[in-house]
Amino acid sequence: MSDHSHEITPPEPEKFDAKHLGGLQQILLGAAVGGIGVSAIGFFVARQQFAFSWLFAFAYFFTIACGALFWTSLQHATDSEWSVLVRRQMENLTRVLPWFALLFLPLLVCAPFLWKWWNLQPGDDALLDAKSGYLNQTFFYCRAAGYFFFLWWVSSTLAKRSIAQDADGAAKHTYVMRKFGIGGIVVVALSISFAGFDWLMGLDYHWFSTMWGVYLFAGAAGSSMSLLVLVITWLKSKGYLKTVNNEHYHIMGKFMLAFTIFWAYIGFSQYMLIWYANIPEETIYFRIRNTESWWYFSQFLVIGRFFLPFPVLLMQATKKTKYINYVAVWILLMQLLDVYVIVLPALHPTGFSPSMFDLFSFIGIGGLMGWLFLRNLVKSNLFPMRDPRLLGSIKLSN
Amino acid sequence: MAEYRKIYGLGAQFESAAALMKAAEKIRDAGFSKWDVHTPFPVHGMDKAMGLGKSWLSTPVLIGGAIGTLTATLLTFIPSWGIYPMIVHGKPFNWATLPAFFPIMFELTVLFSAFTTVFALLIMNQLPKWYHPVFNWERFSRVTDDGFFIVVEARDAKFSETKTRALLEEVGGSHVTLIHD
Repeated sequence: MSDHSHEITPPEPEKFDAKHLGGLQQILLGAAVGGIGVSAIGFFVARQQFAFSWLFAFAYFFTIACGALFWTSLQHATDSEWSVLVRRQMENLTRVLPWFALLFLPLLVCAPFLWKWWNLQPGDDALLDAKSGYLNQTFFYCRAAGYFFFLWWVSSTLAKRSIAQDADGAAKHTYVMRKFGIGGIVVVALSISFAGFDWLMGLDYHWFSTMWGVYLFAGAAGSSMSLLVLVITWLKSKGYLKTVNNEHYHIMGKFMLAFTIFWAYIGFSQYMLIWYANIPEETIYFRIRNTESWWYFSQFLVIGRFFLPFPVLLMQATKKTKYINYVAVWILLMQLLDVYVIVLPALHPTGFSPSMFDLFSFIGIGGLMGWLFLRNLVKSNLFPMRDPRLLGSIKLSN
Repeated sequence: MAEYRKIYGLGAQFESAAALMKAAEKIRDAGFSKWDVHTPFPVHGMDKAMGLGKSWLSTPVLIGGAIGTLTATLLTFIPSWGIYPMIVHGKPFNWATLPAFFPIMFELTVLFSAFTTVFALLIMNQLPKWYHPVFNWERFSRVTDDGFFIVVEARDAKFSETKTRALLEEVGGSHVTLIHD
């Protein structure tokens, strides 16, 4: 609370000028076409490798987009004032979510290569029979449709209401967005947990971890906030969003710190309980990832995702200066490593075995998502210009 | 003959948090350092208006947390490695038992940081304190209700009974009163 509103005039509306993009849109579209094109070759010549590579890239961008929807929902559910200036960019990040339904189709086609339970018959494996109430194809399709429907519903409603408020300034949008925000947190939590169970934990249907959904969420939320920091910095470097100052960066940095700690807390809890109980069907996950060349990846993940960024983010000076951008890039890279270590060892348990399809799936899906993001970016104002809490966000101090 | 009492400072009351904030900015710009504001609730941005800068509380907390980690490390490793090695739940007693000790390290880090925070805060605020001169000013009791106050202490180098009184009145203070120790 502060009563300085009389000193602040509302900022002018800002629309992103397409000329500032340079050739970025074309480059991203080219990357999308090229990456997906090469991956399509993989679909025919090396289908299993393609399936795992595609799942890796898919899971990386899907978790980040889900994280963005979590942040958008959270701002509405808590009536946040600080975030109004940066909220439109969170919304833009969530707008790519429905497109993942399309990118999910190749995984469905390759399902027998990815999920070993897919073609097993009742009686083949007693462990699968016990889980068949959940792990069956019909329910799997229904669940996937459910995730995409609810994610689309919440993300598009929040984004559309927010843009509609730019035009009419009606307070009723804020009330509706608050309701969707509260529901949105539940939708993100359930979607990312059960999608994680279905698509990633399901890579080995013997294995289970009750921490799995929270673990994925912790990584997703932290890396999504890092991406937001980079998007805001990029927009500021083009001369937009001048009202976003180091107070906003400070808060975003605090969230990055919080989710760095939370990721470590959840990741370690998952590891320690499995390590201590020492039950073979549980330890197999870490046995694969802590032996052969995967050991180096796992160790590097522990150091790189927690022990390096933690002390750096602890300092206020990092969060309030340009160094926060370097940390954000680093966290996004570590999330990439995290997802890689989750997906690929299931295909190559004997050690790291790089494939060009890992790279091209990543370039293809990343390019497509970047292109879709830019397409939405130029369409609306860069911040919710008639949000009732806008002035509070501009005069933020913490 | 009236009893001699030392002057503690000058107090002034303000209408609202906003008026107090503006006045605080002016007192800050006038170069005072030994002064404080008193409000019924926390006012965001007041630290900046008063020119307080960053709190140094984080340093003791970091040291406290580090001591907590170290304590836990020694508490677990000395028995497990040295004085009482024992196989528990089939786990080894060399460095590979480290994951079992992390929860203890985490808990003691949090515990020691929390204790340091509380005690450093008490020391920094000179608490507990059984007597404070501002309560000699009858009007000041409204600070827990609807009163917003600035008190400039007499030990400030810039303090002058007449000039500071004029300044407090000029920045919008009412009921400017001399507070005795």
